Amino acid sequence: MNRQLFLYHPTIGYKFIPNIKTRIQHENGGYLVRTNDWGFRSEIEFGKTKEAGKKRVLFFGDSFTAGDGVSNKYRFTDLLEQLIPGIEVFNFGLPGSGTDQQYLMYKEFGKDVECDLIVVTVLVENIRRIKSHYRYYFNSAGEKVVFQKPYFDFKNGEFELFNVPVESQPLKIEELPESEQGKVDTGGRFGMARSIVNALGLKELTQKVTKYQPVPEYNTADSPEWKVMKEILHRWSMDAQAKFLIIPLPLYQFTEETSDPKNYQARFGELKSQLNIEVFDPLPALKKYSAEERRNFRHKTDVHPTPEGHKAIAASIAAKISDMIR
Amino acid sequence: MNSDQYILGISAYYHDSAAAIIKDGVIIAAAQEERFTRVKHDPRFPVNAINYCLEEAFIEPGDLSAVVFYDHPVLTYDRVMKNCAYAGADSFETFSTATKSILGIKLWVDKHVKQAIGTAGQLGKVIFAGHHMSHAASSFYTSPFEEAAIVSVDGVGEWSTTTIAHGKGRDIQLLQEINYPNSLGLLYSAFTYYCGFKVNSGEYKLMGLAPYGKPVYVKEIYDHLIDVKEDGSYRLNMDYFGFLSTHKTTNDKFHQLFGGEPRQPESAITKKEMDLAASIQQVTEEIFIKIARHAKKITGSNNLCLSGGVALNCVANGKLLKENIFEHIWIQPASGDAGGALGACYVARHLYYKEPRIAPNGKTDTQKGSYLGPGFTDHEIVAFLDRNKYVYTKYSEEEKNELLAKEIDKGKILGFFAGRMEFGPRSLGARSIIGDARNSTMQSKMNLKIKFRESFRPFAPAVLREDVNKYFDLDTDSPYMLIVAPVKEEIRKPVEAHADSDDMIPVINQIRSALPAITHVDYSARIQTVHQETNPKFYNLIHAFRKLTGCSVLVNTSFNVRGEPIVCSPKDAYLCFMRTDIDILVLENYVLLKEAQPKFEESENWQKKYELD
Repeated sequence: MNRQLFLYHPTIGYKFIPNIKTRIQHENGGYLVRTNDWGFRSEIEFGKTKEAGKKRVLFFGDSFTAGDGVSNKYRFTDLLEQLIPGIEVFNFGLPGSGTDQQYLMYKEFGKDVECDLIVVTVLVENIRRIKSHYRYYFNSAGEKVVFQKPYFDFKNGEFELFNVPVESQPLKIEELPESEQGKVDTGGRFGMARSIVNALGLKELTQKVTKYQPVPEYNTADSPEWKVMKEILHRWSMDAQAKFLIIPLPLYQFTEETSDPKNYQARFGELKSQLNIEVFDPLPALKKYSAEERRNFRHKTDVHPTPEGHKAIAASIAAKISDMIR
Repeated sequence: MNSDQYILGISAYYHDSAAAIIKDGVIIAAAQEERFTRVKHDPRFPVNAINYCLEEAFIEPGDLSAVVFYDHPVLTYDRVMKNCAYAGADSFETFSTATKSILGIKLWVDKHVKQAIGTAGQLGKVIFAGHHMSHAASSFYTSPFEEAAIVSVDGVGEWSTTTIAHGKGRDIQLLQEINYPNSLGLLYSAFTYYCGFKVNSGEYKLMGLAPYGKPVYVKEIYDHLIDVKEDGSYRLNMDYFGFLSTHKTTNDKFHQLFGGEPRQPESAITKKEMDLAASIQQVTEEIFIKIARHAKKITGSNNLCLSGGVALNCVANGKLLKENIFEHIWIQPASGDAGGALGACYVARHLYYKEPRIAPNGKTDTQKGSYLGPGFTDHEIVAFLDRNKYVYTKYSEEEKNELLAKEIDKGKILGFFAGRMEFGPRSLGARSIIGDARNSTMQSKMNLKIKFRESFRPFAPAVLREDVNKYFDLDTDSPYMLIVAPVKEEIRKPVEAHADSDDMIPVINQIRSALPAITHVDYSARIQTVHQETNPKFYNLIHAFRKLTGCSVLVNTSFNVRGEPIVCSPKDAYLCFMRTDIDILVLENYVLLKEAQPKFEESENWQKKYELD
């Protein structure tokens, strides 16, 4: 029995059920998850007013930030509290979410929270999620179903939010309108080929030989996906009530140097040069670890960070966070 | 040892795998694996139950001081090897299967633990507690007694089948044991099999069938099958049993003794099975009482702790209580192998680490009502209901109980889901199906339309502790439904005598008391006393029913259908609700009416999903 972790949310699609205390079985033996009264994975309760003398940092992101695969206390956000004296971190991470949903999360839950810094940890893969209208899921009967998600897009020159309120019930892919069937995020590129290669145990070799690029959406500055991402981040930076920082979190292919990161690095670099948004790239620091250490930043099969991976991320960004809140 | 000593206990591989966890001697959690996998009596390594225990304790596996297994697989293998050597060529099949099983799995407990949670805890290795020591520990260390005689009786564990021990403070001293193949549990199981029920789960049915019969085979049993001494020691005549050399408990000679082949499962039950059930039940009670007398004699104790599968024979427990051999009796509610997981924890704490025991208060046990499994918050329940668009109404506790009392009074049947799930085989008001005990059609409706099980099977009453003596000849706590006692003469009703026949139905349908749904054919009832302290939600429901009707008794049966493990989660409860004639589902303070629910469809025939027990 795995406990239900998420409840329906009409704007974001879903969020953690508040006050859950559970342990999720996992290839590493399992990990502990606790959510607070607001419904976020946290060992502490959130409040709008900041405690005197403390610096407060809000983090938004997906499962890498929420901490899939590790207990709360091993996440980089929680480790930062040990590395930087006097700060408290509110982790608003939501597994499976895109930057669009994270922005909506901020608007629903974060914008009135007194803080010193807002950090968006964009797993670079999130660019694919923001163009999706649905995400797939296997229900308890083992059937592949999809859940609708909110998304932003340009329509007649206006940047608009769609699919809100989100449909609460799962849908079957074949029941979607034909125009929507290609809008389901299936978790990566080349779905069928990926399954075969993974089954043969040739994933890493294949990626290396083919110089696999997991996120081609960053290849050009005018790709539709990047335009949406850029607009979301721009608007978010404008809305932010405190300093604002973007941290592009690399996929393991970039950390382990089987794929070339230059395109996504260039795009995030443009946020700084064109929009004056503060961006910090942790990849150079992560690459300083040995190849063996970097391999241990992710689990054997699950690509989410291990405690070692979280520790390395925390170490790589601590100085930047510290600088920005001083 | 310092504080925060967490110990994880595991039982597995035979039947009813389970895990338990204690912190500094206090039980944090315990659960059977079947509740999570939905496979009845699941014997597999309990990865889900272990996960749940760590979840409830909310600790990392590395925080465990020790991981303890309830049995010693090497000793079990020793028994199997010697058994096979004794039985010779006939035992090849047994030898082959057991060797594969034990060498393939049981000797690798340590490896399985590390695979499941990544570590064997701070000790770095699994401790093996010993089967009967685990049973003894499960009853003594959770009992209210500082000192007690401890009797453990089951089929077999390693070599032992029956043990008498003496517990004092933190120590347990094993005094006497009876070894395999002489086993009271296996004797009872032989009759379970012969009467067409499933071994290791149908024993309960045999006990329920016994009052329909007459003990006409008692002499045959004593003359041919078992030699019993006055001190309760016994020896089986292995000429009549098959379990030394085959997978069957009986053999041709046993069948000839009782006039034919075993009854085919699911075929009609005849007077012969009823009489056999009555006979073996009487023999079991007589031996059980002799063992208890002997335990009293050699320990001099006024207190008795019981465990092992045979301790789930609540009819025998009731007879033992009536004998007044001991002043106080405490029975571990998870007396079967599942409870071994809990006992194993205590073996490690008190006998391995030699930690002192938390002083018992002499009155209440430390089992916490056996509500040791998962509970679900309102947030989780609402998320489940909303996600699936199930229709519900939320009530305050008081409003809910008033409503439910009225519905029960009208003859409605509830699926009642409240608080943490029970540990052990009985539903005690946390995962229960509830009905009106006064209703004359309740037993047949519950058996046939809800439980889909044999119509002869009785239901248990749940009664407010303070009122138990109004309805039953019992004035002691029975919170775990482990004691059978007679219904009071004052509320009994006369019945017509029926000629002995194979047809049980006229007998079943007789109204024997003002509480017909829970009054068994011999005017007995398997009683659960309900206590405000351990289950206020269930207590308050019965209290509301008493306020409305003057009656403080409800029918309480396990929330499942035949062959299905008791429900664990809101989802399990909803499925059982929709598959049966249960009228109302109560998930904490959320009430769901059957007629208000969306159309329920299933892609598979769920009745084929559960193997009949």
